[in-house]
Amino acid sequence: MSGRVFSVILLPTSECNVACDYCFEHKEPHRLSSLLVPLLTRRLLDHLEHEGIEECEIYWQGGEAMIMGPAWFADAGKLMDGAAAECGRRFTHYLQTNLISYSPAWNDVLRTMFSSSLGTSMDYPNVHRKLFKGGAEAYTELWTRRLREARGAGIEVGVIAVLHQASLDIGPQRFYRYFADELGLDSFQVNTPFPGGPASQVEGGFHLDNDALATFLAGLFDVWIERGYATGVSLGPFDALIHHFTGAPARLPCIWKENCSNQFISVDSKGTVAQCDCWVTSYPESFFGNMFREPDLTRMLRESPARREFVQRPKHLVEHEDCLSCRYLSICHGGCPVRTYSALGTMLAKDPYCEVYKAVFGRAEIHAREILRRRLVTEIGGSTRVRLPD
Amino acid sequence: MDQPPGLWWWGCMGESMVGETLPDTICVAQDINQSLGFLPAALAEKPGAGPFVAVVKSRNELLRWLGKPLGSPQWIQIEGLLDDPDAWLTSCASQVPLDIVLSNPASEFSDLYRLTDVCAMRDVRVSMPATPGFLKAVTLAASLRLPVRIIPGQPTPEMLVELTEALEFYLHEPMVEMPVEFFHSLLATGCGADHGSLWIILEEDPAAFLHYDAEGHTELPRSGSFQSVKISPELFVEHHFMNLVEQDAECATCPWQQPCRGYFKWPDPAYSCRGVKQLFSRIDEAADEIKRDLANREAELHLIARDKR
Repeated sequence: MSGRVFSVILLPTSECNVACDYCFEHKEPHRLSSLLVPLLTRRLLDHLEHEGIEECEIYWQGGEAMIMGPAWFADAGKLMDGAAAECGRRFTHYLQTNLISYSPAWNDVLRTMFSSSLGTSMDYPNVHRKLFKGGAEAYTELWTRRLREARGAGIEVGVIAVLHQASLDIGPQRFYRYFADELGLDSFQVNTPFPGGPASQVEGGFHLDNDALATFLAGLFDVWIERGYATGVSLGPFDALIHHFTGAPARLPCIWKENCSNQFISVDSKGTVAQCDCWVTSYPESFFGNMFREPDLTRMLRESPARREFVQRPKHLVEHEDCLSCRYLSICHGGCPVRTYSALGTMLAKDPYCEVYKAVFGRAEIHAREILRRRLVTEIGGSTRVRLPD
Repeated sequence: MDQPPGLWWWGCMGESMVGETLPDTICVAQDINQSLGFLPAALAEKPGAGPFVAVVKSRNELLRWLGKPLGSPQWIQIEGLLDDPDAWLTSCASQVPLDIVLSNPASEFSDLYRLTDVCAMRDVRVSMPATPGFLKAVTLAASLRLPVRIIPGQPTPEMLVELTEALEFYLHEPMVEMPVEFFHSLLATGCGADHGSLWIILEEDPAAFLHYDAEGHTELPRSGSFQSVKISPELFVEHHFMNLVEQDAECATCPWQQPCRGYFKWPDPAYSCRGVKQLFSRIDEAADEIKRDLANREAELHLIARDKR
């Protein structure tokens, strides 16, 4: 069996308990029935067997995954893990939640099924994440309380922040201080925004100027290196880039993989299969098929015309864009299909954040070089006589 | 720099596979015990083979050899199939390494993305001739962290320009993490390692890498059958090189005669090595830089150690 890992972003429901401004998901009140979990499991295990893959990572998210309740997860996890063990395979579970409905009742399942960790999201400043009643301020207050409760119960929490104009306005110093100092987090990541939804609606209110975004990210990178890197604070994707440029094994985010179509799929509560959660919740024209109606997931993935476009994308980019001459090709490969599609109405173009990524990669190279230089100096005794290359 | 070139496929060279003189006309089961035989898939299926590489050229052959290798090939050499998407969809039971040979790298390069799944499960190398536009394939292969073997043959002046660009890419681009042969081994040689001549580095010395045609006849590198010449495969390189020296070719006084052994004078002994020598010179220059840097660092470490005492 290969060391290859297959990942599934699994959406047990499209329902959500909050009302964020920029959410592009179609929040249909539908949930994955417990009765269908065995079939879903069988389909996944068959696919792993066909492909000779031992491990499948399940990223549970939504909608809001916690709407399903802890008992539902405990049953689903037990069933899936038992079936996998019977055929010499394994599922590894991860949970992404807005934390709003977290309570101590979740602790057991978080410990047993999710290795005492979860992922959640918060922006700074928070102006777009809102409760149905109470708005953004109430959301922040409740989320912060839940975060502290979960961490108090020994749950390790990673936070994803989506950048927006107000983040850029307050600047990287203040942004970093909020997550690292005020919340006391030692693991968080920043994501670039994209509008999602139909391509014709891309001119929404969340477009960021690329230069301003690049400047912010470069500044945040500097702040993290100065304050967080040496003290063990993990800030994605900067940490992965530092690993890459210092020669350590690096797990880069999905947007920079050689071809995300080889790495994962997303499945919603109705069994719809698409490339990732962004596609399965927003773009019916790009669905690969339905896991509950089609008996063979491997065959679906091989034969789906919609998936073929994903498979072909990197090939198309090196033939038609300037990616082949880019010094960062090996860590980008043209960027994210959904960011491209939501901005341009086609995925057969390079990511509109290309210049932003280049700025971040360039920053990572500079910092990595300095880290290597310091390591070398330490290695040879801190001598000031050592001449090092520029 | 002292790592052997070509990683896994070089591993078999650690064993003594080059033995007694090989006959001109071969019986496969007999002589592949003495060198690594490159056998067309149909020939490789016959029992009795020693160390061998199966050369596959059709989808059916590929599926058969990927699914359940017949015998124990050192690796599978795949020719002309990269543009066939269906050939790469198969589930792979074995983990035999693959050498993907591009015939026209300028047009095939983007298909290398087909290998992203394959190389998660097994070692993969990309081989290609130095034909116009080959640097595109080198670049993409490097970005996918695949080792590369460039087969230069007797490069034209235009190809020497592209080879020089490829060398600079190999030397300086941070994305290059895997060996790009033949640069990698020549650089290592320049730094003091011994990786043999270009004939060995490029797997074209018949004494160690013996290629067979569909009828089981041994083939000369980049030309015809051994049946047309009166020399055994084992002696081919030295015979060729001595001939060049005796005929007063430029090899006699060439500073790179050891790592080259007349590689660039084959098959046309009248080929002018002027451009090739510039390439060798550039590699030596880079090797000197590396040696100088290492020596400086050694000296610094020595001084620090002395100060501490």
